[in-house]
Amino acid sequence: MSPAFESFLARLYVERPARERFLADPHGEAAAAGLTADEIAAAVEIDRVGLELAAASFAHKRRRQGRFAHPVVRLWREVAKRVR
Amino acid sequence: MRQLKTDRVGLTWQPQLAAAILAAGDRIDLVEVIPEGTFLESPRAHRALRRLGREMPVAIHGVSLGLASTIAVDQRRLAQFARLIDDVQPDCWSEHLAFVRAGGIELGHLAAPSRTATTIDAAALNIERAARATGAYPLVENVATIIDPPGSDLDEQTWLKRLLATSQADLLLDLHNLYANARNFGFSAADALRSLPPERIRIIHLAGGAPIRASTGDERWLDDHLHDVPDPIYALLEIVGETVPHAVDVVLERDGAFPPFGQLLDQLDRARAALARGRTRRVAA
Repeated sequence: MSPAFESFLARLYVERPARERFLADPHGEAAAAGLTADEIAAAVEIDRVGLELAAASFAHKRRRQGRFAHPVVRLWREVAKRVR
Repeated sequence: MRQLKTDRVGLTWQPQLAAAILAAGDRIDLVEVIPEGTFLESPRAHRALRRLGREMPVAIHGVSLGLASTIAVDQRRLAQFARLIDDVQPDCWSEHLAFVRAGGIELGHLAAPSRTATTIDAAALNIERAARATGAYPLVENVATIIDPPGSDLDEQTWLKRLLATSQADLLLDLHNLYANARNFGFSAADALRSLPPERIRIIHLAGGAPIRASTGDERWLDDHLHDVPDPIYALLEIVGETVPHAVDVVLERDGAFPPFGQLLDQLDRARAALARGRTRRVAA
């Protein structure tokens, strides 16, 4: 696994639009990310059930972390969301 | 790594459980603290942990370094850990064999790395960086995963064994993570446990989990730390007692959905009994 492959996986695990684009065209999206031929093959063969569940689990964990963050941190996050 | 004289059993420190933990000190041999946020950065929190360490042994358990990554572990985070360890002087410290960020994205949790020779070398390098920064090798923990790590060409046990052979870091063996992966990917947790080098196992984690279902109807077992320890984990702990030649620490992880505290203490007692049964079998063999 290269840093590029790790970044590609991180994006699939966290970003729903990236995941949806990938599931519609695994080879094209992996190639567009600049992965090697072996990495593209690994991406195409991804465990799709696991990807769905892992993405849901990561999202749940991030929500929990947000809920338990310090009130000031939560406030700044809200401000940042509105500014974006 | 210090050598323990006897097996010890404890649990994860949680602010909600603080009073109960301190009141039940005679049934809790150690606590494990996850030093995130305030705990990691605040000198006041460091002092509090040091005071806690006078009451009972404290182990520090990291979740954010991302040691099993092809990307170098963040030096700023390592420096924070080094200050914490220097201030608190814990019994030991540990971190997961996972990646937690890449390409500017924070996963917010632990992702299993691809199991390849490349990630073994990268993890070993990060472990060396961590040891240099903190002055002590971390114990490294096997992680649970509900996705078969993409790009892997080694099974989990081969990957772990090769990493341990490459690195001086010993193993924090999470039995529930092993159990969850065995359920999810169809191998025997007991056989996997017996294949690991027992002389490298120093701490055991126990936890609970639950099944989750995908839109296809397929089910996987999630390591959620929100449920009681399932029966098969105690059977695995017996194998630990039977095979590991030295004393170990056993830590119950519970992050929420807390039952009455007595129920957690009962699980610690059950763990002690399971470990003792294994020890008896070891002596008899």
